[in-house]
Amino acid sequence: MERVGIVGYYQVKLYSNANYGRYEMIFEAVRGALDSAELKKKDITTVVSCTNDYYDGRTISNAFTVEVGGAYLEDESKVEMDGAHAVLYGLMRILSGNHKLAVIWGGSMASCFPYHSARLYETDPTWERPVAYVNDITASGFQMRAYMEKYNVDIEEIAKISVKNRKNASKNPLALEEAQNANLSVNDILNSEIYADPVRELMVAQPCDGVAALLLAPEKQALKITDKPVWITGVGYNQETYYLGDRDLSISNSMELAGKMAFDAAGIKEPKNEINIAELFEAYAHEELIFSEALGLAEKGKGSELNSEIDGDLPINPSGGAQGGNPPCATGLIRIIEAAKQLRGEANGYQVKGAKKAVASGQIGMCAQNNIVYVLEGGD
Amino acid sequence: MGRQVAIISAGFSEHASKRSDVNMAELVNEAVNDCLKKVPSLSIKDIDAYVNGNMPAFEGANLPELWMTDWLGARNKPLIRVTTGGTTGGSVGIAGYYSVAAGLPGIDTVLAVAFEQQSQGDTSIGLSSVALGEISVLNTLGLPYEYLTRLMSAGGAIGLASYQAANYMNKSKIREEDLARVVVQNRRNAAKTWWSHLKMPNLTIEEVLDTPYISYPLRYGMVCPASDGACAVLFTTEEKAKDLCDTPVYVNGVASVAHESVIIGYDASGSAQLDPSEQLGAMKSSEIAYNQAGISFPRKEIDYAEVYSPFPNQELMWVEKLGLFEENTAPEMYENEVTSLNGELPICCSGGVNATNAIGASALERPAVAALQIMGKASNQVPKTVHTAIGHGWGGMLNLCTMMVLSDQQQRKWR
Amino acid sequence: MSEKIIVANKGFVRAEFSFWVGRYMDKFYDAFENKKIIGNKCPKCEKRFVPPRKICGECYEEIIFDKNWVDLPDTGILLNYTITPYKVTDRTSRKVKKSQIIGMIQIEGSDTAIVYKLLNMEPEDISLGMKVKAEWEEKPIGNSADIKGFVKI
Repeated sequence: MERVGIVGYYQVKLYSNANYGRYEMIFEAVRGALDSAELKKKDITTVVSCTNDYYDGRTISNAFTVEVGGAYLEDESKVEMDGAHAVLYGLMRILSGNHKLAVIWGGSMASCFPYHSARLYETDPTWERPVAYVNDITASGFQMRAYMEKYNVDIEEIAKISVKNRKNASKNPLALEEAQNANLSVNDILNSEIYADPVRELMVAQPCDGVAALLLAPEKQALKITDKPVWITGVGYNQETYYLGDRDLSISNSMELAGKMAFDAAGIKEPKNEINIAELFEAYAHEELIFSEALGLAEKGKGSELNSEIDGDLPINPSGGAQGGNPPCATGLIRIIEAAKQLRGEANGYQVKGAKKAVASGQIGMCAQNNIVYVLEGGD
Repeated sequence: MGRQVAIISAGFSEHASKRSDVNMAELVNEAVNDCLKKVPSLSIKDIDAYVNGNMPAFEGANLPELWMTDWLGARNKPLIRVTTGGTTGGSVGIAGYYSVAAGLPGIDTVLAVAFEQQSQGDTSIGLSSVALGEISVLNTLGLPYEYLTRLMSAGGAIGLASYQAANYMNKSKIREEDLARVVVQNRRNAAKTWWSHLKMPNLTIEEVLDTPYISYPLRYGMVCPASDGACAVLFTTEEKAKDLCDTPVYVNGVASVAHESVIIGYDASGSAQLDPSEQLGAMKSSEIAYNQAGISFPRKEIDYAEVYSPFPNQELMWVEKLGLFEENTAPEMYENEVTSLNGELPICCSGGVNATNAIGASALERPAVAALQIMGKASNQVPKTVHTAIGHGWGGMLNLCTMMVLSDQQQRKWR
Repeated sequence: MSEKIIVANKGFVRAEFSFWVGRYMDKFYDAFENKKIIGNKCPKCEKRFVPPRKICGECYEEIIFDKNWVDLPDTGILLNYTITPYKVTDRTSRKVKKSQIIGMIQIEGSDTAIVYKLLNMEPEDISLGMKVKAEWEEKPIGNSADIKGFVKI
């Protein structure tokens, strides 16, 4: 696979209830990304956005974002999944040879719509939706219990992930203020209110307002635009079956297959030894363990034995991950940006030393039904 | 960098105003099976990745492809979802093209599926929610809601489309009879297309004009129906296409250029697109796509076109904007049967969107039919040999457009 | 200091949706009206699905409508459960006073699980693998709410 570089990025500060409108946010993100690479609108050849009609409360959610997204009279399209999937489409457009600079932006404002109701609309309308017993809240409870039962993992181990991520978020100036807390203990997490037993409120990535954007360019152009391009050397994406009763929720089949596809493309044989840092979109604390095991960063059931602190053996989510704020449609994109920041040495306050190869992931669907994984390298 | 991509098959489900015998997942499955059965040497296991799309507001279901995983045959396969409103089908097709052109390891054969089951929801609510946010801002500025709904979102697309029609008619001096003639050609063509919705083999211009106005100049008899249906198109690499298909159809040019939303901008601010019949976005899309395909004189080099026109005035406008006919000459081309099945440049022999409109799918059906015409396997096949064809889509706030240029020769020009 | 002016525009747009369930679910719900659960079986891998499906996801085999039906009991075993104070509907999600227990139940004889409320239970009564039975509405009308929930047996 030819190398495609991330040459610029920008993420707005996350808020639970942002004081400004979505169009200003989108403009801030795209303009910020272009400025960070010292490029202009006329350099853009394609724009791929990521929004969701139900989250925006508007059919054709990209119809009005043409100007602010930098897509005026440009080739544009819209992916309706996680921001990380929009990056995939932008990557495909660059790899096809048709385009030289792709702007990818995504995000939404969770303060403007009932998040769980919009997620309820994903369920099977002929069977599950009328009774609403399957929704993203109950699905998280099933997934956590399945994982704990299968591998005999103590709930304290899962709570430790929340402690770590919220502590990391406190060092990340762009993370959600409510999520930033360096003084939480495992007991604080376990004593927080029940969300969907055994999941606790403080284990959940809070949906919030935010938009992020990044720029992709083919190798030749990337080397001219910046002296620190971050290369995408592998990508994998996969969707598993829908009904919760058909799935083994203690593992993530689609993450495993997506990871394999990405690692094969990047030539990585032993992810545990070759990857220096991972930014995974964990909608709940237990998902970070499930995903790190699916990617081969730890053995099945032993994710909690991995030292994933910032100064640990394999730092996971040094930015705080999704626990630091989950703006729907942007979270996966932000994970890619955070991984790129680490590789470029720009993660002030939460920098991992010597980061050379990173993994970033995004997801969509109940219990991460569709996962996408990137392998990123370089930056120096 | 990049590879030549070919379409080797296209499938459809039956379209009707109410497909009450199937749920959404089963409707999509019909199209997938119809597509695959035309390539007997390929099975579902050989599909490497999927692209899926529809307009979610019309069914009241968010991300329905998550539910439909098994019905698409996409279990444990890569899948992305692309939705852009009325142009969803075209965007799905373009994303299918890019999925193969990118050359990601292991992704060689991609199935693009687009669908809509509009009978499940309220189409006018789905359409009017495009601009409800902006309308509420105008309320705040003092304009009453009823006044605005009558002006703009009465039926959503038709409110804006009638502005487009009025602007175009003013510039080109066409008469209502010209609009009716386009409708008659489309619906008579649809009668010979197995999967279409409004099959009217004996429709006449008088019958079309004998219906009441919805919004001048558009009459009831002229506008597209709301259909339930799905469409699937199979993309693969040049090498595999040669083994799997007698006449692989090469995708030589793709573009989807966007313009500002028409008349009203975001947050009810102003818009620079005041004349919706100007369509700078569509003109730039066709320029880019033709350039990629090495086409310099579309009028001479294109043998067949499927344009996206739910309303007849749009068909007349598009065939000019896309470079197929000179400005203001489209009406006489229809009158002189240049655009008919046996004409020099047949247009929409499947009946087009005017006869079948499952919104999410219709912009994919345009390149799908164009490809089948090139293969010689279309339902209402034109008698002459089609070498180069275009499939076009339109939507959004009259500001989004998709173009796909197809040919039986690999003509993709690399930069 | 400038005054912040916030204008709120309240309105209500009514959008009604009704979903075609397809022939398979139609027959399934007909059985529900008689307080019976039926499923279908993939002719290739013989996996049994409830609710019935047209396509077996693993094999991509069409399960022909006229045959392959199986009668199933309305008992099963509990595979998983969660307890949540949140009640999610089409328009809101809010916390209710009495938390609900939602379980994943494998109907006996089927190879998948369905998700329903667990009734007349306290968290202490629950153990994974326990047998449960469906409790039906008095007069079922042929939709998923005909099963009120599952009780321990």
